[in-house]
Amino acid sequence: MTAAGRALVSRTTRFCRALRERGVGATPAESADAVRALSAVDLGDRADVYYALRALVVSRREELATFDELFEEWWGATVDAAGARDGRRKGPPHNRAVHAPTEAPRPASAATFLTRWASAAAAADGDDALPLAVPSPHDALGAKDFSAYTAEELGAVERVATRIARRLRSRPSRRWRSGRRSARLDLRRLVRLSLKTGGDAVELAYRERKLRRTKLVVLCDVSGSMDLYSRFLLQLLFALQQAFARVETFAFSTRLVRITDALARDSYREALDELARLPAGGWSGGTKIGESLEAFRTGWPRLLDRRTVVIVLSDGWDTGEPDVLGGALRLISRRAGRVVWLNPLLGSPSYQPLTRGMQAALPHVDVFAPAHDLASLEALARHLSL
Amino acid sequence: MREEIRRIQEAMEREAYVTDRATATAVYLSVTLQKPLLIEGHPGVGKTEVAKVLARMLDTELIRLQCYEGLDVATALYEWNYPKQLLHIKLEEGSDRSVREKEAVIFSEPFLLERPLLRAIRAERRSPVLLVDEVDRSDEEFEAFLLEVLSDYQVTIPEIGTVRATHTPHVVLTSNRTRELSEALRRRCLYLWVEYPSLAKELSIVRAKVPGIDERLARDLAAFVQAIRRQKLTKTPGVAETLDWARALVALGAEELDDDVTGDTLGCFLKDEADIRQVGVEVASRGVAALVADGVKPG
Repeated sequence: MTAAGRALVSRTTRFCRALRERGVGATPAESADAVRALSAVDLGDRADVYYALRALVVSRREELATFDELFEEWWGATVDAAGARDGRRKGPPHNRAVHAPTEAPRPASAATFLTRWASAAAAADGDDALPLAVPSPHDALGAKDFSAYTAEELGAVERVATRIARRLRSRPSRRWRSGRRSARLDLRRLVRLSLKTGGDAVELAYRERKLRRTKLVVLCDVSGSMDLYSRFLLQLLFALQQAFARVETFAFSTRLVRITDALARDSYREALDELARLPAGGWSGGTKIGESLEAFRTGWPRLLDRRTVVIVLSDGWDTGEPDVLGGALRLISRRAGRVVWLNPLLGSPSYQPLTRGMQAALPHVDVFAPAHDLASLEALARHLSL
Repeated sequence: MREEIRRIQEAMEREAYVTDRATATAVYLSVTLQKPLLIEGHPGVGKTEVAKVLARMLDTELIRLQCYEGLDVATALYEWNYPKQLLHIKLEEGSDRSVREKEAVIFSEPFLLERPLLRAIRAERRSPVLLVDEVDRSDEEFEAFLLEVLSDYQVTIPEIGTVRATHTPHVVLTSNRTRELSEALRRRCLYLWVEYPSLAKELSIVRAKVPGIDERLARDLAAFVQAIRRQKLTKTPGVAETLDWARALVALGAEELDDDVTGDTLGCFLKDEADIRQVGVEVASRGVAALVADGVKPG
């Protein structure tokens, strides 16, 4: 390999590493392919280099902006990208000066208060203070207005919920099973069976689609310490309820309240009115996770079976006894198909699940995942189909 | 610019596909590096067209696999020809072959029905173009299976054995992003995002695809579509809709885009009742000319 070639390999590899650091997942295999790609284009032509690397390294639309920014940083001179300037998306930036170093771009659709949360979390990285309300053992009375969100934010949450619901929908699975009634002939088996009888189909074989059916039970913590997230999560719950029939939703802080019916309204606004009317255990009050879970287990035992996924949305700040939480969750996990604990704090890099409540709960949780932004909710869908 | 990329761009233009360097480069690399090309973008921006044009350009067969929820291996890969098998057993009734021999016969090549994936792998003459359309509509299990096939271009049929591709197919996948595709599949592919075209590009597309359209009419209608794409609609019209509309206007003998003819033909490019009402009101109150002027201004 020539010296220039070696330099190219090293530069490309380091460029890919820089992309990885910015969240554009360029795998080592892709850097290798990138080098191959570059040897297939005109290296003297920036546009060739730009389009080739972009096609290889980027793998979703959201990564384009980051790629453009880094490309300019790394490959310097501007690219004549007239062809790329279609529509609203900007091509590779022309002017270096206008690109002051900025924070990593976030998808524009992410709810603004989440962005605020993210910046708050970033600010808190230095000291240990987390942007949390202190859990208090008292009920906070009165209703809260959950509706201070724009239509656009609601739209983004709704789309995530629809995707989740799509995955869970009772749909014929792709697998067939042998069946008796109202089924299609299983020709593959039938042919084999009729070999014995010289081609006469004496024994018939049938098949039918297996049905796949997942149910959801969501237990949402709406206590004070969850204040930042619970309104947002309620939006998700509402959208989920709209898109997917087999979900039962409960809210809890110091008491457990079933909110399935309240959420099953035509509009989010009506659902909020309905929620405000509930004899709430106190929105945004203190937290008794263990007792609330125990109340669910004893109060609605029939909701639990092997085809049910139980989702607990909570930060684990429990003012009750950890033993109660551990015990209740153990019994729930024995009956349910899966227990998913979504903790919004898990999205913050400095968070560790050290609270006594969380410690007691973790052994009985199948999936422990963050839920602080849309991306994490999207990832959640993966854990939900049994 | 690399000579081949320019040639691909020119060849695509010859096939009446108005393209840009991003697309030409992605297509070139996909063929050169033998990596599948994943194309994402809004509905109606011409994603599927890339595969069709590529097949025409390479003068090879286009094999299309349309994905949908519940798509299974029997529909995508292969199936046994059951009626033929039954008939054959019947015909062999009197023969003294053993059951084992009979079985070997009916589960052999002549009784196999090829479906798109197997057909793409077994192509004899030259590499075909395999279009996996709307891969986001298939389910995860199928996506995993597809990834397996795309990794080594070979499949195993229990009764026959492993079939390996002699000519690696050129694979184009399209997605409308109704579902997030798996990271593994994305990593396996080259990526191309297709945006709605700019005014100039859309105008060239209209000229190329609707020959004989009046120049001013073409300009006005392209600008009008640009303007309404900036509005919040339930279903934003794609290029396909623009072309439908252009053809309709030509068929109606319209010479210019006035309020009446626009109001009458909204259904050609708006496919949602609420959208038609919304744009109809705007046309009635502001007039087509104002919207056309909006569209000419850069967004």
